Amino acid sequence: MKTKKLIAIALTVVMTLSIAGCTKKSKESTTTDTTSKKLVIWAWDGTFNVVAAKEAKAIYEKENAGVDVQIVEMAQDDIVQKLNTNLSSNTTEGLPNIVLIEDYRVQNFLTSYPDSFKDMSSKIKAADFMDYKLKSDSSNGKLYGVPFDSGVAALFYRTDLLKQAGYEKSDMENITWEKFIEIGKAVKAKTGKAMLTMDPNDLGILRIMMQSAGQWYVKEDGTTVNLENNEALKEGIKVYKQLMESGIVKQISDWDQFVGAFQKGEVASVPTGCWISSSIIKATDQSGKWAVAAIPKLGAVKSSVNASNIGGASWYVLDKVGDSELASDFLAKTFGTNKDLMNTLADKINLTSTLKASSTTENYQKSVEFYGGQKILQDLSKWTSEIPSVNYGLYTYTIEDILTGTVQSIVKDGADISTALKDAQKQAEAAAIN
Amino acid sequence: MPISKGLTYKKEAKPMKFLKKSKLSKNYDKFGWLFTIPSIVIIGSFVFYPMIQAFITSLKSGMGNNLRFVGIANYARLFTDNIFQKSVVNTLIYLVVQVPIMILLALFISVLLNDKNLKWKAFFRTAIFLPCVTSLVAYSVIFKSLFSNDGLMNKILLNLHLLNTPIEWITSPFWAKITIIIAITWRWTGYNMIFYLAGLQNIDPSIYEAAKIDGATSVKQFFSITVPLLKPIILFTTVMSTTGTLQLFDEVMNITKGGPGNATTTISQYIYNLSFKYTPNFGYAAAVSYTIVIMIVVLSLIQFKVAGDDK
Repeated sequence: MKTKKLIAIALTVVMTLSIAGCTKKSKESTTTDTTSKKLVIWAWDGTFNVVAAKEAKAIYEKENAGVDVQIVEMAQDDIVQKLNTNLSSNTTEGLPNIVLIEDYRVQNFLTSYPDSFKDMSSKIKAADFMDYKLKSDSSNGKLYGVPFDSGVAALFYRTDLLKQAGYEKSDMENITWEKFIEIGKAVKAKTGKAMLTMDPNDLGILRIMMQSAGQWYVKEDGTTVNLENNEALKEGIKVYKQLMESGIVKQISDWDQFVGAFQKGEVASVPTGCWISSSIIKATDQSGKWAVAAIPKLGAVKSSVNASNIGGASWYVLDKVGDSELASDFLAKTFGTNKDLMNTLADKINLTSTLKASSTTENYQKSVEFYGGQKILQDLSKWTSEIPSVNYGLYTYTIEDILTGTVQSIVKDGADISTALKDAQKQAEAAAIN
Repeated sequence: MPISKGLTYKKEAKPMKFLKKSKLSKNYDKFGWLFTIPSIVIIGSFVFYPMIQAFITSLKSGMGNNLRFVGIANYARLFTDNIFQKSVVNTLIYLVVQVPIMILLALFISVLLNDKNLKWKAFFRTAIFLPCVTSLVAYSVIFKSLFSNDGLMNKILLNLHLLNTPIEWITSPFWAKITIIIAITWRWTGYNMIFYLAGLQNIDPSIYEAAKIDGATSVKQFFSITVPLLKPIILFTTVMSTTGTLQLFDEVMNITKGGPGNATTTISQYIYNLSFKYTPNFGYAAAVSYTIVIMIVVLSLIQFKVAGDDK
């Protein structure tokens, strides 16, 4: 009994100490002290965005002594959730000074929480950046975001597997999706590898197809739902169905499986945004076996071009958190104007910047060994300038969730595309009434 | 008059009695209130006030902080909202399929483990109960990788030649639901088993002996003795499982993210999406959450009526 008593006392002491330890920790980390010049930045993807933020931090801290920049890596969904929770309850405790927000989501934030973000129109020059970015980063004529990366879509492919199937690099230039499927079937037949991965929950490939034709889920005004008579969407779903039925797709269900598939050499191509490059080059044993071609276009839609966008984000300053002047100065001096930063990042993470001046820098002219000596940044930059400009509007993710069900019914249950889209239009219109 | 005299007499006596009683009872009353006031205040401010606020929010609609009063428009919208209807159907499917299977399984296992002659009883009980104390997110993530298209489950089934092509556990609308049901059953069976084990301790073993002498088989004993005697506990676990399953979120969010094309979305996940994934519409999200409240109340009432009439 004595030992039991001792153990009980010991446990109680340990528990009390650990509780005391917990409270101490939280006290230290919640204050964003305006006097000690501290900046907190939130970003996702440790191989890409966080690396960029760290480089910017190094440059800024060198020039401005006494400023401490802290970068916190968090999953994108967590950032969105935390921002929504804090901003809707009008508290700023625990919020960062600078946050990275994906272009598809930004209009939601700017419209739902006006006054929460700092107007950057006077800190950076809109003319310095590529046009298509300005549309998503602005609201009511004011520029709120500092454009960061281009989500320019490209077709990354394995030259060795394609060669085995009988296709050269020239055969992959400026193709249509229909031709892509044809090539994929040959690759599957001759090498046994799937051509690409697809996640039934993620309609990214539909987004690429739509934007390549200058279309989106909503019309130019950003609020009128455009599904029923959207030719690009209809053709895109037809191609999607063909892809799923062709047997050239490896089905996956999350990011890790997506990256694992091409890193392990299980797929021959990755048609997605250029930001995937940092994950592709991690498979160092495949160096020299990859190349990059322009994203395929929709053969049946005349306005479709071999250039599109998927993803891409910009940096935003939260106006009511800590020293917003310091935060906006940080962004203006780094991502807002600094060509050298873009140059370094081009080399480190293959960043295709949307700062117009970056395409003239040294690293953009370099040939990258991993991609068989191809000057990928020049190509990516060129395609970025060709991206059709589109207003993403407010309902991208809402409509997409409705569409995943629609697309499933079309692909798996053979529903008629026109009827299914008509139904989706009605649902989306109901969901869009706010 | 004698009556009034009696009355007046009583009236005089009453104040005396009243005073005497009130002094003691006043003390009791005072302390009684003192003890209950803190908990009333806390429950009131942390449970009832938010409930009322949530209801008021459900009468508003708008983006983020731009909420404006719309009356019952949110509730009307529920009837035409396809994703909401799908999520309700999914949640009910989980309820109807998973809860009975789990209750029966837990009953069966608890009876097995109640055997006096079984060795290693403590180990089995711990092993089956352990899943309940795992983190919801941790085990969901592991299940996701186990049941992925080239995960362990498919590899084992293929190697045992029980399958020719791998089952699309997570990317098929049908199998995704099965995966979720397997995950929930694995996690909560042990929890319910513990309740039944406790209940079984209260059943006098002489009843079983008498039944054995009368020639009843184990199956007959199970259905005629065990189940009726455990009725209150079965009712309790059924109600708890129902409320838990109606609020299902973590597994669905982490394993299938709502499944291929909303095939596994639950009501709670829809609320999350409405608040954080789409353009935040907290008013409509609050309205959806009240539907869960209504469903839980209705189902609990039904279950109490059906099984709890012994009193």
